[in-house]
Amino acid sequence: MGCMNSKSVRKFPAREDSLDLAAETAFTVNEVEALFVLFRSISNSIVNDGLLSKEEFQLAIFKNKKKDNIFANRIFDLFDVKKLGVVDFEDFVRSLNVFHPNASLKDKIAFSFRLYDLHNTGFIERPEVKEMLIALLFESDMKLADDVIETILDKTFVEADLKQDGKIDTEEWETFVKRNPSVLKIMTLPYLRDITISFPSFIFNSTNVERVDETSTRL
Amino acid sequence: MREAQNDIVATEFATTTNDEEVPSGVVLFGKYELRRLLGVGAFAKVYHATSVDDTHQSVALKAVSKNKVLNGGFAANVEREISIMRRLHHPNIINLFEVLATKTKIYFVMEFAAGGELFHEVAGKGRLTEETARFYFRQLISAVKHCHSRGVFHRDLKLDNLLLDEDGNLKVSDFGLSAVTGQIRPDGLLHTVCGTPTYVAPEILAKRGYDGAKVDLWSCGVVLFALIAGYLPFNDYNPSVLYRKIYRGQFRFPRWISHDLRFLLSRLLDTNPKTRITVDEIYKDTWFNADGEYRFNRVLVKESECEKQLGRTGFKSLNAFDLISFSTGLDMSGLFEDPTGSNSVERVVSTVVPEKIMERVEAMTEEGRVVVRREKNGGGAKLEGQDGNLIGIVVVYQLTDELVVVEMKRSEKGGGFGGQFWKDKLRPLLLELASELEEPVSR
Repeated sequence: MGCMNSKSVRKFPAREDSLDLAAETAFTVNEVEALFVLFRSISNSIVNDGLLSKEEFQLAIFKNKKKDNIFANRIFDLFDVKKLGVVDFEDFVRSLNVFHPNASLKDKIAFSFRLYDLHNTGFIERPEVKEMLIALLFESDMKLADDVIETILDKTFVEADLKQDGKIDTEEWETFVKRNPSVLKIMTLPYLRDITISFPSFIFNSTNVERVDETSTRL
Repeated sequence: MREAQNDIVATEFATTTNDEEVPSGVVLFGKYELRRLLGVGAFAKVYHATSVDDTHQSVALKAVSKNKVLNGGFAANVEREISIMRRLHHPNIINLFEVLATKTKIYFVMEFAAGGELFHEVAGKGRLTEETARFYFRQLISAVKHCHSRGVFHRDLKLDNLLLDEDGNLKVSDFGLSAVTGQIRPDGLLHTVCGTPTYVAPEILAKRGYDGAKVDLWSCGVVLFALIAGYLPFNDYNPSVLYRKIYRGQFRFPRWISHDLRFLLSRLLDTNPKTRITVDEIYKDTWFNADGEYRFNRVLVKESECEKQLGRTGFKSLNAFDLISFSTGLDMSGLFEDPTGSNSVERVVSTVVPEKIMERVEAMTEEGRVVVRREKNGGGAKLEGQDGNLIGIVVVYQLTDELVVVEMKRSEKGGGFGGQFWKDKLRPLLLELASELEEPVSR
């Protein structure tokens, strides 16, 4: 399919591109087209280049480009598959796919593991979890003393770190999240089910073809 | 009683029995199998269809010609109708499930109202009893109140746009002419002349701007009159005579209408929008409450994220990753929704025993204006206004043996009263629960 460069991405995706993306994700052709409407609006919010920068991503989530958030940064880094500091439309769709209500549990578990493996070591280590906990507490104004934080970490690692080596590997993570499905709640965006209603302007640019369009003028 | 077609987006349809029109058995988008043609309008055809998955769910599928919409300059109307229906989730409003499109067509996939139009119910019986009319009118007002609380004014309420589901419950349809608060001019009024002549309010005819909520209530008055009388209060073949009657509020009550209903109708069909009855006043009306005070039908059409929180058992114990998932940076809903319409969440850490927290929440009923619905599992509660709209939810999580996290999530459905209740009652309770924890909490 080739990479959509910044010039072509401003135009509505070609039918072949939409079909290809629909074929490899849980999205339909119309949903891919609706996602393009979303992508076009957020990726052109600061620089009109048809590529999504970290600042544009944060502006879309927080409505504030100055707000720096360790977790939003992490999600953006995972969306930035090509490691170019920007996300193109194809990578945006493929990355969002894991958040689709119909995406596989396996994919959700794998993505969440990478999300929390802050330093890309292949493990979720206790210091990383502590760092994330402190970031959350700072962000939310919930004040907890260090000994309480350690208690929460102890409780979590007793359950998750089955090998008791101070870190959680992919196998342990899978066991842990299956026992604690609430941990994966953030991995599903119900909004993706209603994407065509959320961004309806795709309807006027759709290149989708249905059998009835070609065979029946009466419909 | 039926009016000529005047709707731009054409969702008012003449019924048809021409089976040859239907490409029966056609499966659209691999999802919906067409069953029969329900109606035809200037811009669209509506079909009954069923989903091809295991549920075989019945839907109404509106097929709109893209060319006709674009050439007629009505693209903005179609988009507005979609965005309006998207924000309305109520048991008495037709639900829009999804929008599909091809090169030549736009398809609205909507809730199927198996009972057809309320118009046919009235036409078949001649007129309805006050009891039956009250049943429908209550559902209509509940739907209208919901629309107005979400900043939506229908502007074309009429019998033809009121459908019935298989259980005989009313469903408001056709938001093709509706307006949103964003269209209000600096004078605080709407200015577009629209609606169906016999249902149109006098202030629209005056062309000096109007309050969308008051216009809808006038139309509700016309609907209620028609249900009880079997004919419209204002009708004439000559449009100028019709408009004069509306402008002067000239109509006669049939002799069989009760005194209480006459009073309500005279308040609904008050030519002065400033003194016309409001939704809140209708809820207190004698006729409206004739068989006991009306309570909103609590069938949830679409469970909000706010409500899904409660699907857990007891006071859930939080692990580190549960806590981390509270971060706003992991909440990507900002990509998909306007932040003004989103739920606001506040959390505090407290040493108060979970059961005591829930008791204090349950005590906040404020003269019956708030209903606290404790979840069976005990871990949370829903707070609803008297109209059934969700004000917010409270969930208590166990953090350590001594500490809990109290989460209060305010729903955008709660309207003005919900916001006030949040400010005056819920937030102070939250701050109170956290008050002894000014210093970082230690074991």
